[in-house]
Amino acid sequence: MKGTRWHRLALVGSAIALIVFASLVGGLLWQGLPEISWHFLWSPPAETGIFGGIGPELLNTMTMVGAASLITVPLGLAGAVLRVEYGARPGFILLFDRIRYTFLSIPTIVIGLLVYQWVIVGLGWSLSIGTGVVALTAMNWPFVVDMSVSALEGVPDTFREASLALGGTRYLTLLRVVLPTALPALVSGLGMAMARLMGESAALIFTAGINVSKHWAFSAPGETLAVHLWYLRTESVAPHADAKAAATGVVLLTLVVLVLYVSQKLARWLKAVDG
Amino acid sequence: MNVHQHNLRMERIQHRIFWLSAALLIGLGLAIWGTLAVGAAQFVLHHGLNRTLLGVDYNPTRGQFGLLPFFMGSVSVTMLALALAYPLSLSVAAVTVLMGKRAWLAPVRQGMGALVAIPSVIFGWWGLSAVVPLIRQVSGSSGFSLLAAGLVLALMILPTLSLLTINAFARVPERWIDGSLALGATPDQTLGRLVLRSVKAPLIEAGIVAVGRALGETMAVQMVIGGQTLLPHGLLSPAATLTTELLSDISLLPPGVEGHHVLDFMALSLLLIMYGLVLLVERIRGRAEV
Repeated sequence: MKGTRWHRLALVGSAIALIVFASLVGGLLWQGLPEISWHFLWSPPAETGIFGGIGPELLNTMTMVGAASLITVPLGLAGAVLRVEYGARPGFILLFDRIRYTFLSIPTIVIGLLVYQWVIVGLGWSLSIGTGVVALTAMNWPFVVDMSVSALEGVPDTFREASLALGGTRYLTLLRVVLPTALPALVSGLGMAMARLMGESAALIFTAGINVSKHWAFSAPGETLAVHLWYLRTESVAPHADAKAAATGVVLLTLVVLVLYVSQKLARWLKAVDG
Repeated sequence: MNVHQHNLRMERIQHRIFWLSAALLIGLGLAIWGTLAVGAAQFVLHHGLNRTLLGVDYNPTRGQFGLLPFFMGSVSVTMLALALAYPLSLSVAAVTVLMGKRAWLAPVRQGMGALVAIPSVIFGWWGLSAVVPLIRQVSGSSGFSLLAAGLVLALMILPTLSLLTINAFARVPERWIDGSLALGATPDQTLGRLVLRSVKAPLIEAGIVAVGRALGETMAVQMVIGGQTLLPHGLLSPAATLTTELLSDISLLPPGVEGHHVLDFMALSLLLIMYGLVLLVERIRGRAEV
């Protein structure tokens, strides 16, 4: 067909993108899958010998991400509700928007630096799971506000008008009409937020640390999977560190995909129930 | 009446809670600006500006704080990544929106959403196990280079960028495209003169968002760029960026040590750049809505 040269180029470009991503995921699975066993998933890492695993890292990742999400969801949702449902003076809204957009794009290493200065140096906490949760919370907050704002904006205004016309207060409208309608979008947004937190490493290296303690505690160092992958691939002297890194990557990726899949499924189910 | 009174009181309390949480976010944002600004001001008072912003020698333990290599590193890596990823994302958008069926849109978007969530350390891992050895073999250098960082970053921002360009392309009404084809324009002419032009603003916005992501990335870049603090003299020379240098210097210059505030200065520069990007997006969005 005439006049399709750019379209053919686009096909080539897309094919390149597809192949590169396939090689990334394929290479990771190829190198990492053979390493994975129950033993690898349960046991603590070892710098010597070949029998180290990622058990504590797995636990740390899940508890830290869970704790940070528990803190940020109410905070972020409440901020978004003010922005969308209640409103405020224009100056306040402008300041709020600029700060949340800038906050959202702050490099996570800067958040790591700030939490290090404030919490570790200022408050005297140690490199620990607790400090890591603070860093993840700071990182996640603007993200949750952002996704809540778009979820709430997805609710048609006619719903609110109907509720107000029937005599509902703004708070009742929010509780009985807006939030239930926005729930599917909120759930899938939360899934994205958690996936993002699981992959975070720059903010955690100097807040949660790069090793694990024998006994889990809130004030003990808490290396996560992503940090462990970075550590294995750049600093570690353990034998088979490369293969272990790939296996850690496979586990991390599986966790991320699982969270995304479950949250999307849940969102779809909620939508079906509601509709 | 009693119920109504109760509802109104709840309403006031709720409103106050929502306002407080929004104000808390603003407070935290201002605290970030404040902390970095105070730290950076102390740095400037101690060391001056002309030997830092424009200096090329970086050796904090000897009191040399030339930051130019890192600014150069950040800018060149970001530009390289954008130059590589942007054409690819345009092709992905053209293929999925213009050449594919509209029914493909939802699954492609979902797949892209999953790729966006791939942790950056995994891209770093890929860079170390595929890109760096390849560059080493082809060029004979160590492989840790600006080029490797650019390639890894390009791959990392590709899903985000593709998602945004797909969304932009999908905003063009189908009947416009059908109309253009019916009037005798070739598919290429439709793409170049109709689609690309009508969504220029969202396409530019997508680029800015991608620049923000690339500039702020630390781990994927740190793993492949080599961490050289000299001014890079070519694509194949190792280098460092503002973010990677922050990562490697936090342990070297903990708070209290002479020169720690150079970190605040670097962080504040990054924050200022991000703020500039936010203002830019705001302006483009405003223009697009009119």
